[in-house]
Amino acid sequence: MTRILTKGLCSAAMAGLLSAGAATAEVKVGFIGSLSSDTGRSTLRGAQIAIDELNANGGVMGGQQITLIEADTGEDVTEGIKAYEYLAETAEVDFIISGSIDDVSLGWLPRMQEYQIPTLDTWTSYIGIIDMVVEDPEGMAPYFMNIASDEALATLYINFGADVLKAKMGWDSVVILAEDTAFGQAITGLVTEALAPVAGIEVKDTIIYDIGTVDFAPIFSKAQATGADFIYQVSSVNSQVISSQYVKLQVPMAMTGVNVSALGMEYWEDTGGAGGGISTLSPIPSVGFKLDPASQAFVDTYQAKYDTRPVIPHFNGFNAYHGLKQAMAAADEAGGFKDAMAWSKAMEKQDLILEMDGKMWLRYGFWGADEVEEVTQRTYPHNARFDLTSPYEDAQPSMVVIQWTEDGDVGVVYPPEYATMEFSVPSWVK
Amino acid sequence: MSTQITWKHLALWALFLGGMALLPMLVGKGTLRTIIFANYLAIFAMSWDVLSGRTGYISFGHPFLIGIGAYTTAILSYRFDVPVGISIPVAVIVTMAAGTLFFLPALRIKGTYFALVTLAFMELMYQLVQVIRPDLTGGTRGISGVQTLTRGAVNGYYLSLALMGVIAISLWAMMKTRLGTALSAIGMNEEAVEGSGLNTTKLKLFAFMVGAGVAGIGGAFYVHYLGSIAPRALFDINFLFTIIVAALIGGASTIIGPMAGAFFLTFLLEYLRPFLPGAERYFIYGSIALILYMYEPKGLYEILRKARERLTGANA
Repeated sequence: MTRILTKGLCSAAMAGLLSAGAATAEVKVGFIGSLSSDTGRSTLRGAQIAIDELNANGGVMGGQQITLIEADTGEDVTEGIKAYEYLAETAEVDFIISGSIDDVSLGWLPRMQEYQIPTLDTWTSYIGIIDMVVEDPEGMAPYFMNIASDEALATLYINFGADVLKAKMGWDSVVILAEDTAFGQAITGLVTEALAPVAGIEVKDTIIYDIGTVDFAPIFSKAQATGADFIYQVSSVNSQVISSQYVKLQVPMAMTGVNVSALGMEYWEDTGGAGGGISTLSPIPSVGFKLDPASQAFVDTYQAKYDTRPVIPHFNGFNAYHGLKQAMAAADEAGGFKDAMAWSKAMEKQDLILEMDGKMWLRYGFWGADEVEEVTQRTYPHNARFDLTSPYEDAQPSMVVIQWTEDGDVGVVYPPEYATMEFSVPSWVK
Repeated sequence: MSTQITWKHLALWALFLGGMALLPMLVGKGTLRTIIFANYLAIFAMSWDVLSGRTGYISFGHPFLIGIGAYTTAILSYRFDVPVGISIPVAVIVTMAAGTLFFLPALRIKGTYFALVTLAFMELMYQLVQVIRPDLTGGTRGISGVQTLTRGAVNGYYLSLALMGVIAISLWAMMKTRLGTALSAIGMNEEAVEGSGLNTTKLKLFAFMVGAGVAGIGGAFYVHYLGSIAPRALFDINFLFTIIVAALIGGASTIIGPMAGAFFLTFLLEYLRPFLPGAERYFIYGSIALILYMYEPKGLYEILRKARERLTGANA
């Protein structure tokens, strides 16, 4: 009797210990990005919503709960390296999701190669990182980027110049207004060397302005004096200033280009309601983009949970939400995150197709190592899958062009398959 | 060697470095990573102190020198496959040459004007590396994948500790000589030093070359630790302030001071991370630095020195 009782007590204690062990087992996800920028917060919140849903559904990998550990980069390169080290060696996370900007990601990438921690980038789109995957497939195996690379984005954007600016609007010449930043120089280079020549548009002049400029009247006058058909604006810093002055001054020339502030719903508020007519390229899903039911449900949850900026998750919020779930599914298949190569192979196979009206609308998948994209004739291993040719049956386009209307609406104007409205010029432009 | 250096001093250095060498057996890898950054910050703070803390020529452009050292070795090793055994010494020489550029304004101006000119050096370099030969510098995004000299926290720790130890002891020994005394005297009253018959131009040039040399060594090894380099990471006002604050909080015109300041600031920021993951950390960091500086402008070194005096006085 004593033996049976002892055996029973031992079994109970063992079972208790095991269940306690199972209860405390957890998957640690690290977030790396800026906690004080909309960019960083979009990724963080997208990841948090995915984690909440997975935990509510019983966890992952046999019932393990996921915890999220934040490491702020402050959009500083060195802080990014410290943040990655903190996640890897102090917090000992299993997986890292990143909302880092280009140079911050490039800063911590050597640490990723050293630690071999599965990592997903949701914001940076620098093609140089994909080139690193091509050159060092083993060292970069745990790295994935689920936004189309900037090269793919630019390639499709050139078509917009030819199809819309030249063919539809009939514009033959342009004057570029570019901010004095590296971003401004890069996009100006893209316009002068690729977009304009391909579309047959002459660049009349390039006007560089300081990012601290508050009075754009002389600059717009100079642009008008060139006699160009339209203005091509390149602005990533304080973009709402040039936009609102364009509207308030009723500059009698059409203006399109790249305007970073117009990528978020807060743009209308930031311009004081004077942002109509501005158009810009945007990664997908952009503001004004028609959403499939799954993405719409995510937005609804997001807005109910976080009733503050950003008003709508930027594209990286969606990327974080879907990407984190895919990373967990890959870990389930690979038996966890510890074997980075096994996880990488499983992640490569992840393929989420979101349909709209019975048609493929968004696809969260990755390019295979040997798959050659037919337009650019190159490979994009571990980069988000995209399609550069109409009718976009393999995946969504690498980007869309969006436009704000004078009454505060925003919609997609290019490519036609994803358009919700027509590209137009403001009412004061004849 | 000056008679001021005693066996007691050397024993204290040996004790300090020996204790540090045992740390990998006592603390986790995360802490070692924090100490590595503290070691490099200590090197930068010491090099700033040689140049500015001693002579009184306050430089706001120190990252200019660190960046030149870092970029030179990064470009040579990454773009041209030059072995780091060659690229690092070349980087140090180039940085010392750049130190003479820094020196030129000091021949004519001092005080606020000198500080502003050196700040301009840093800003100029920030702009130049982005537009001049971005195929070499990597432009705004910089270079990722620079060869690292070590892998793992422990190896990186020992390398940074050895580097900091050698630099600290060398500078300390130098400052114990009459040359070091003359440099400190320049900071107190340059005219008086000149009046005593010493050539202050040569003395200042020496200080600038040494400061630049140490900045070059630190910058070069730093980039080969990080494995990446970007203009925003180096030619940055926050980086500059961190170096200056480390030197001032620790205690300028000393060797232990900048080291203590670097460790204090680095650990303060990293230990706050789990509790305040966002920008709030910097508010606490700034507040503590301000209070400390207001309480004792001569820094932690002076606080510790006074505490020791009180203790030994009490014992006596």
